[in-house]
Amino acid sequence: MTAAMFLKFASVSFQRQIAYRFDYFVAVLNGFLYVFIFTSVWRVVFTKAGGEHGGFTTESIVTYAVIAMVIRISFSMDDTALPGKVRDGSVAVDLIRPMPFHAMNLAEAMGYSAFHFIARGIPILAVSALLFPVRIPADHLPLALVSLALAYLILFMLNFAVGLLAFWYIEIFPFMLLKYGLLNLLSGGIVPMDFFPAAVRPFLAFLPFQHIFYTPASIIIGHANGALAIEMVAEQAAWVAVMGAVCALAWRAGQNKLVIQGG
Amino acid sequence: MGTIEYAIEAHHLKKQFTVSESGKGLWGSVKALFSAKTRIVDAVNGVSFAIRPGEFVGYVGENGAGKSTTIKMLTGILVPSSGTARVNGVVPYEDRKKNGMNIGVVFGQRTQLWWDLPVRETYEMLRVIYRVPKNGFDETMKKLSAALDLGPLMEMPVRKLSLGQRMRCDIAASLVHRPGVLFLDEPTIGLDVLAKENIRTFLKDLNKTDGTTIILTTHDMNDIEQLCRRLIILDKGIVIYDGATEDLKQRFVHDKLIEVEFHEPPDGLALVPELLVVRESGTKKWLKFQNGNSGIAAAIGKLASMYPVKDLSVREPSVESIIRAIYEKTVLLPEHKDAP
Repeated sequence: MTAAMFLKFASVSFQRQIAYRFDYFVAVLNGFLYVFIFTSVWRVVFTKAGGEHGGFTTESIVTYAVIAMVIRISFSMDDTALPGKVRDGSVAVDLIRPMPFHAMNLAEAMGYSAFHFIARGIPILAVSALLFPVRIPADHLPLALVSLALAYLILFMLNFAVGLLAFWYIEIFPFMLLKYGLLNLLSGGIVPMDFFPAAVRPFLAFLPFQHIFYTPASIIIGHANGALAIEMVAEQAAWVAVMGAVCALAWRAGQNKLVIQGG
Repeated sequence: MGTIEYAIEAHHLKKQFTVSESGKGLWGSVKALFSAKTRIVDAVNGVSFAIRPGEFVGYVGENGAGKSTTIKMLTGILVPSSGTARVNGVVPYEDRKKNGMNIGVVFGQRTQLWWDLPVRETYEMLRVIYRVPKNGFDETMKKLSAALDLGPLMEMPVRKLSLGQRMRCDIAASLVHRPGVLFLDEPTIGLDVLAKENIRTFLKDLNKTDGTTIILTTHDMNDIEQLCRRLIILDKGIVIYDGATEDLKQRFVHDKLIEVEFHEPPDGLALVPELLVVRESGTKKWLKFQNGNSGIAAAIGKLASMYPVKDLSVREPSVESIIRAIYEKTVLLPEHKDAP
């Protein structure tokens, strides 16, 4: 896969998103709504709790809610594309091409996400910064960018691995529901890990989910810093390696299982 | 690419699929949740053949005979359950990407064009994917565009193309990188007569001038008769015929039907012993050639010298009727010997 190929696939995927204009406006409104709901809920909860809980202040939890939501929006991927292609057999067309399947999927995901980052993530961040006290310390930015990149890869590989289940099961909707549930609950996209009971947190360390939104959001807002932040990024890198291996094995096994639907 | 003896080789290729069977009705579906009964289907059951560079081979069989499954193993999409295959010396399912550079594939039932892009941009994507140098690409596109009349379609989005237009664009897409081997999986499906004819002319020319090895699966026996010198017939996952299309027709020379119109209806049914009357109506008789010491021409000559013949025509059996007869087991082919 050359860089030119990667860019081609990413840009086609990006352009495709522009075509769905109505979806776009609904999605922007939806994003604002979520930011508004979460910031309002945290504000009320924190006021009742005396303005401080789990290492967050009212101000920092509002910033966390905004940043986590902007990351979630910017990390939008079409996770139904791969299982859809397997279901209707058009994955055959991808496979006749002399290019690595995972890289092609990553390129398409990145084109898709790039659109949502530019068209939704940035405006929602800008408007939220005007409405709420969003504080982002600049000194964590390099590490935060590394963390974001690793988080993106973890989410992509999670989607890819779950999508590959379509090679075994034609209908993978139940697995997708399970994935959405785990992501909502355990990724830090809504509730930061600090608010989980102390007894549960060690178990969460055995799962990749918290490294998708919690780790990058915490580093960006400076909630996690210093040695802790570096340790979290190292864990992310380890998860990237583990999930990469899982995806590679699943892909190899899946190829033997593949059935092309519809002749 | 050095000289290789065979462009495509298949050795005892097998592909088994596991099919889960759910029982009948609601209760059956519920039961299937807990004890999934599975059945193994041999889609391709030990197929062997070898195709030399530059051959144009028809690969036919009824639905479910295993044609498409074979093609998908040769193109690296599916991994065989057992057996081996080589395309241009590359094992397709082991080195899918390398194989991809050497082959072109057209699936009649689905498009490889980008649904939401204009046709021209699809080719640009393919140019990048196959790493075709810009000037070579321009030259190829010019040729393809002229031969397949793509000019008016170039700026159209793929989703607005008619089936015939789309197929022309798809065929061009499979040739952007000038592959040595072309797999065509039902490329004329659903097309009208004129569109089919245009595509046949193009393929014939491609095979002749570029020496492209072509393997074609189709249900349209006119495709086979006009294009393929060699025919491989598949039935229930095994090869039941592999030989020249012409030889197959020769075997059925006895099925040639002779239609004779006489000036006056001759008396009696037996005209000449070599010709069997199968039907008659008024001054017309339909005859079939039976074994005789001399050939069919001599028998006809004899007939014409003895009776007042007004008009006479000989109809060859179509490949379609031959193949139908093979499937219906009304004729038996001699034991097929596997290719190397």
